[in-house]
Amino acid sequence: MPTLNPNQPAIPQVIPTGHLRHLVPEEIKPSSNNPRHLFDPDVLLDLKKNIAEHGVLVPITVYQAPGQAKFSILDGERRYRCVIELVREGRGGKGGAPLTLPANVVEPPTKIAGLLYMFSIHNFREAWELMPTALSLKIVMEELGEQDNKALSKLTGLSDPQIERCKKLLKFPERFQELSLDPNPQTRIPSNFWIEALPVIDLALDAIPTIEKLGRDRATDKLVEKYRDRKIKSVIHFRRIMESYDLSEDDPPTRVKVIRRIEEFFLNPKVETRSAFDEFVVEKKRVQSALTACEGFLSQLQRFKLKYTTDDEERNSLRKALREVREYCKSLEQALTGSDDPEVPQD
Amino acid sequence: MRGIIHSFKAALRFHDYKPRRLSLLSARRWVGQFEKKDRRLVEHLLDNVIYISESKTRQILVDQNAALMRRLLDAGLPMKKLIYVQVDDPGSSSPVMLNLLRDAASLERLGCKFADARDSFHLNKTMNEVGEGALIYVDDFIGTGNQFCEERNFAAKSFVGTFSEFLLAPSICEEAFYRIGELGIEAFTGHVHSKAERPLHANSSIFTKAEKDRLSLVCKGVNSKFGLGYRNLATMVVLYRNAPNTVPAILRGSLNQTPFQGIFPRHSDLPIRKIG
Repeated sequence: MPTLNPNQPAIPQVIPTGHLRHLVPEEIKPSSNNPRHLFDPDVLLDLKKNIAEHGVLVPITVYQAPGQAKFSILDGERRYRCVIELVREGRGGKGGAPLTLPANVVEPPTKIAGLLYMFSIHNFREAWELMPTALSLKIVMEELGEQDNKALSKLTGLSDPQIERCKKLLKFPERFQELSLDPNPQTRIPSNFWIEALPVIDLALDAIPTIEKLGRDRATDKLVEKYRDRKIKSVIHFRRIMESYDLSEDDPPTRVKVIRRIEEFFLNPKVETRSAFDEFVVEKKRVQSALTACEGFLSQLQRFKLKYTTDDEERNSLRKALREVREYCKSLEQALTGSDDPEVPQD
Repeated sequence: MRGIIHSFKAALRFHDYKPRRLSLLSARRWVGQFEKKDRRLVEHLLDNVIYISESKTRQILVDQNAALMRRLLDAGLPMKKLIYVQVDDPGSSSPVMLNLLRDAASLERLGCKFADARDSFHLNKTMNEVGEGALIYVDDFIGTGNQFCEERNFAAKSFVGTFSEFLLAPSICEEAFYRIGELGIEAFTGHVHSKAERPLHANSSIFTKAEKDRLSLVCKGVNSKFGLGYRNLATMVVLYRNAPNTVPAILRGSLNQTPFQGIFPRHSDLPIRKIG
């Protein structure tokens, strides 16, 4: 079991040993947040065929929550779902006996063990909303006293960028976090809104005295109002503001203009993101130039037909340079994920 | 004379129906809207209504809750580990039932917690504080179970800790009972409403086929889309607070009660009173 620092308690085992039982599906409760789309239907079909032929060979792991008649699944949701489908299709066990699942019955997991187990499941899940992840991560950080991204990544299986994104969400006060858990998708604020808005809010508080005076929460309220009023049509559009600011670095008159525009953007509810900042971002030309640079870089490298070099020092230098290129390309590729189209889900 | 006695009994039996009080006169008026040949049948349908009065609702909730609490105490869960959860908007039936139970069973004094399934943030916080315990959803009537399962599944995304789950409700349709059971939620209820108890349901044999067809036609005349209630459930449970939207249309009446007056109009079926 990993421990993160000497003063910290050991992380409890998620799946301790238990005793074996044979359970019918009616005695089992599916995982409460393990949706059907988690599983690849083709893989599930293969497993189902196998179970139909040989039965469930590897025991699932279950526990009984206090007071609950049924056993909750810790591990083996796919096997359980295959058996459920087989029962619905009228299949039985050997000699007409009801289909059963061998189950290792263990003690209920502790809160932190249960959370870490859910994280391990959700690593395979495509569309787990980020805000519940962030709230779970917050509990892990508080309970284990751990803040370091690498250690958290090891514990939860979340990638470094995912952890960073969760931490950004947790920087917002609870009343804003709640808006991303609204059951109504029409009024829910997507988690990405906060992640994209954060650098803009930081910049405005730092560079514009009127926004600083307004305060962080009221400035955030202004952006929420604008989003609801569809003056921010896509959360990706926040990037135009940051780009406008970054691109004007060597052009002081434009920089002043951009800052004034940001101030107006916060204070005037009618100002829409694209119409306000498009003039500062000559996007098409820059994207075309970047495309040409990619093609040129690739074709030039290929022209060298480099496969090996006898000089170790040169080899190391080249490998280091290629690593840097790879890291930059990876970060750029990640920054460009999402869509500018407001109809495309951003979360 | 027989008709007057029947209406008198109905007025007595359903006297505490909240959305609109029932009197002998209004019961007579309701029956009088049907063609003479249908009146006996309609009265027979009314006899099959399973009415749950306010005192009965309170009694069922308190009794079922006491049974559940005993079980949870035996399993080692003290009251402070129990989180009672409302599953719908404020003002709808679930929070009303929860308030009724909270006051009648002194849940607050016992140290129980309260949460709203739609407020995942606070539910998550409460579950995190409690760590291990039981979630007890409270509602008045569960029809198909669709709405309940949707609300619960949304909230489940933010679950944390080890919790058993239960549902407390005075009445649950058999369709929902099994569906909720599949989610691993155990229902504590005073009444499982079977299809056989619903005279207009295809699986019931209370009425003959001809009688069923005739009344179904009359229901469709009142509401062409939901004549037999939402999803054709044709349920017969009516709670003092409101009739479910799954009851046959002749019991609820038309929207705004025009042209057809119902005997159990829902709050949303009644015309809005002008203020001033």
